[in-house]
Amino acid sequence: MAEPVNTSTASFDALYRDSARDLYAYVRTLLGDDASAEDVTAAAFERAYRRRASFDPQRGSQRGWLFGIARNAALDELRRRRRSAPLVGELPDEDASAPDEEADLAVRRTTVRAALAALPPRERELVALKFHGGLSNAELATVLGTSESNAGTRVHRAVMKLREACHAPS
Amino acid sequence: MRRLDPLTPDEARELDALERALAGDPVDPDLRELEQLVHDLRATAPEMTPAFAARLERDVADGFPDAAPRPKLRRPRRWVLPAVGVLAAALIALVVVLGQNGNDAATFTSLADGSSPTVTAAAPEAAADSAGGAAASKAAPAAPATVTANGSAGSARTPAPAAAVPAPAQPQALQRSDAPRKVQRSADLTITTPSAKFETTSDAVIRTVDRFGGIVAASSIGRQGAHGEASFDLRIPTGRLDDALAALSKLGHVSERTQDLQDITSSFTSVQDRLTEARAERKGLLAALAKATTQGQIDSLKARLRTVRATLGRLGAERASLQRRADLSRVSLTLRGVKGKSGGATTPGAGDHWTPGDAAHDALRVLEVMAGVALIALAIAVPLGLLGLAIALGARSLRRRERERALDPA
Repeated sequence: MAEPVNTSTASFDALYRDSARDLYAYVRTLLGDDASAEDVTAAAFERAYRRRASFDPQRGSQRGWLFGIARNAALDELRRRRRSAPLVGELPDEDASAPDEEADLAVRRTTVRAALAALPPRERELVALKFHGGLSNAELATVLGTSESNAGTRVHRAVMKLREACHAPS
Repeated sequence: MRRLDPLTPDEARELDALERALAGDPVDPDLRELEQLVHDLRATAPEMTPAFAARLERDVADGFPDAAPRPKLRRPRRWVLPAVGVLAAALIALVVVLGQNGNDAATFTSLADGSSPTVTAAAPEAAADSAGGAAASKAAPAAPATVTANGSAGSARTPAPAAAVPAPAQPQALQRSDAPRKVQRSADLTITTPSAKFETTSDAVIRTVDRFGGIVAASSIGRQGAHGEASFDLRIPTGRLDDALAALSKLGHVSERTQDLQDITSSFTSVQDRLTEARAERKGLLAALAKATTQGQIDSLKARLRTVRATLGRLGAERASLQRRADLSRVSLTLRGVKGKSGGATTPGAGDHWTPGDAAHDALRVLEVMAGVALIALAIAVPLGLLGLAIALGARSLRRRERERALDPA
C-alpha cells in the first residue's frame, strides 16, 4: 500500500531547501541570464506550491516533479525569447584575480563553462540537469519523459561531447 | 522520444564513473579525467544571488502571497468518476433488462386473456371503418363488380380482399345495364363487454335484432370463469343494416368490424333469363300438346314438359335464394366478456382498482423512459466526451512538442 502523500507546507519547505540551489543552477544554465533564471525559478516554486496536492509519488520523486515544472517554465521562457542562452558572455569573472597556484584550476573551469555554453541546447540541458540539478537517472527519465537507460545513454553522450569541447583548441 | 543504441561496456564503465564521481566515491585511475570534469561542472554551477535567495525564502515561508490568486478547483477523488460511470451503466442495464421482461410479461398476459394486442389496436380502425363502410354501401349499387369495405390490412382478423366472393363471370349478352342491381351485404362484428354485463349484452343483441326485423339464424353462448364468448349468426334486412350495425356497436366496445359487399346482379339476371326462356318453352310445349294428334307426339311433349317444369322449379328456387341474399344481410357477431371495467382494456393488471401491480407497471414504464433518455444523452455525450478527450490529448502533445522545439538551435 502506497504511503499517503504529504502535501503539507512543512513537506514543501523541505523540498525547497533540498532543491532550490540545484534548481536555480539548472535553470540558469539553460536560460543563460540571471534575471530570467530568477523569474523562472520563483515561478516554478510557486506553481509547485499551488499544485502540491496533485503530486503523485507513484509517478516519480518529488524532486523530479519539481524539476519537470521548472523545465516547462524554462522552455516556455525560451519559446518566448526564441534564442539560445548566451552563457559565455554572462559568466561571472570570479576567477580573474585568483592566485598563481590556482591559475590552472581557474583556466580549467573557465574552459568547462565555455564548453558547456557551446554545447547544443539539448546536451547542455542534460548536463545541467545531471550535474547542476543533481538528478538521478530515474529522475532525469521522469523529467524528460523517457526511459532510465535512455536518459543514462544521453547523459554519457552529452558528457563525451563536453569533454571533446574542453579539449578542442580555442 | 528516439530510442538510442545501448551503451558499450566501456561507455557503461564511463557512465558508472560519472555516477561515482557525483557521489564522491573514488573512480578508476584511467577515468580520473572524467572525475575532474564532474568536479569542475559541480564547481561551476551558477549560484543564486543573496538577494534573490532571501526573496525566494520569504515567498516560500509566506506561501507566495504576492502571486495572483487562482480559483481553486475542487477535484473529485479518483475513484468517484469511474464509480459513478459504472453505477449509471449498471442502472441503465438493469432498467433495460427489467423493461424487456415487463414487455414479455405483458405480451404473455394478453395472449393468455385470449386477445392479441392487435385487437386493442384495431378498435379505432373499426370505428373509422364504420363510416367508410356506410359510404361504401351507398356507392355499392353503382359498382359493377364485387366491392369490399373491410378494414385496413393492419387488422389481424380483417379478411383480405381476395377472400371476398367474386361475382360469377357471366356472358356479356346476358347482362342488362338497365336491370335493377342486386347486392348481397355481410358484416363481421366483434364486441367486448365487461364480464359482469355479458349476459345482459347477449340479450340486448337479440332484442336489437328483433327491433330491426332481423332473425337469429344461429347462436352459441359459452362461459369459462370470468370470460365469456357468444357467437350470433344474424340476418338483418338489408335496408336497415347500417342502423342495426350502429345499434349493435353501441352494446359494447367494438374491437373489430368488417363489412363485405357482393354484387349478385349478374347471377340474378342469369337466373331470370333462364326462367323466362323456360316459361316460354313451357308455353310453346303446351300449345303443341293441344295440337298433337298422335299418342306418340303426346307422350313426347309430356316428357319434355316434365323436364321444363323441373327446370322452372329449380330456377325459381335459385332466384328466391338470390332474392333472400339481397334482402337479408348476414351479420356474424362475436361477443366477448372480459375482466375489467371498460371491457376493451387488455392491459395487464387492468381492473376495477389501481393495484400495486399497476403501480409497479407504471413505475417500470417511467424507468424505461428515463433509461431511454439516459441512453440518448449518453449517445450524445460519449462521442462528445471522446472528441474532447482527443482534442485535449492532442493539444497537450502539441504543447509538449512546441516546448521541446525551444531546445532546437535557432
